[in-house]
Amino acid sequence: MDSSDAVREGLIPLLPRLRRLARALAGQVADADDLVQIVLERALARATQWRPDSPLDKWVFAIARNAWRDELRARGRTAKLFASEEAGETVADPTGTQPAQQLELAAALATLSPDQREVVALVLVEGLSYDEAAALLEVPVGTVTSRLARARTALQALLGNDA
Amino acid sequence: MNPIDDATLQAYVDGELDAAARARVDALLAQDPAQAHRVQQLQALNAQLRAAFDPVLDEPVPAHLTAMLQPRTTAAATPTSLAGRRRTHAAPHHRPRRWMLPGAALAASVALLAVGLWWHAGNGLVRTHNGESYAAGALVRALDQSLASEPDAQAPVAIGLSFRAADGHICRTFTIRTPPSRSGLACRAATGWALPVIAPMAPVESGELRQAASDLPPTVQAAVDARLHGNVFNARQERAARAAGWR
Repeated sequence: MDSSDAVREGLIPLLPRLRRLARALAGQVADADDLVQIVLERALARATQWRPDSPLDKWVFAIARNAWRDELRARGRTAKLFASEEAGETVADPTGTQPAQQLELAAALATLSPDQREVVALVLVEGLSYDEAAALLEVPVGTVTSRLARARTALQALLGNDA
Repeated sequence: MNPIDDATLQAYVDGELDAAARARVDALLAQDPAQAHRVQQLQALNAQLRAAFDPVLDEPVPAHLTAMLQPRTTAAATPTSLAGRRRTHAAPHHRPRRWMLPGAALAASVALLAVGLWWHAGNGLVRTHNGESYAAGALVRALDQSLASEPDAQAPVAIGLSFRAADGHICRTFTIRTPPSRSGLACRAATGWALPVIAPMAPVESGELRQAASDLPPTVQAAVDARLHGNVFNARQERAARAAGWR
């Protein structure tokens, strides 16, 4: 089995977690699954770059984070994923299948800076340790914790449970 | 008494402290209701995020994503266990991506395009409309007319199972016998028989091709499982559905 087979087979059980991470980053089901599709294409194309002695999940999560950043850049909007003209679409889930609670959190996350949002997605949603998130983002651990603290303050104010 | 700084509180709720540090914070929190309240708020936010996004783990993965991870040459046969893997919710349909810029959308379409080209190289059994695949030609005729209960060994298309999907539309699995042999799922839409998934059949040892519904490629099986809500049609129900125009 070559590395591409190993990556392909290894990614299958990771798909649900990859979709969860993408949902936290991109917000809507369709956007998130489009992101997952791009991530899978990149992962398969770069399969030879994966070292079998390193965790595949962290490797593919890093690809996901970078792909999400690329999409944000391509859109020319670094602050918010959902611009105001799309706000209606964000609230009205066209499929009617995305839970209201998830849409509420996605809308709150969309107001965070990308720096903060990715830390929330990796640590609080995906459950990575501070060290793991710092390694994945290639920043010091202190940067992860300070971004996380600011993100929490903002989220608590938005979600109205900072009383 | 030492005040607990915010960084320590955050590390505490995120499970980043070792046992000794954790015990120290526990002791301090017991003496400090204001800080204890702050910890509860942080824990509530963590719980809120998990409650919002953890359900994604239980959603069926869309077939077009699973399909990307299938081996390109052979599709491994998997035992059919419709009852065991049945889902009550339809997988989200793949919609045209308005989120992506053209370049990214193009890149994202490469794998699907590869399948599409290989498929279109066949014999005009698929058409595309607004980026979605639909049955065409003999495939439409088979889906409209053929009954699994009256199999025709000479027909170019064999029908497998038929059922009403969770979204109310009737879906039918099919196998195209003419090489390159493929199987797929067709679901009746207003605009025709939509094809959410198509996949190559793996040749068996004798060189013949699997044609039974029980030997569907895994991606097709997954698409069926994601949509199936209730029972597969029996012969009488299949005939009645045909009489009703598959509505």
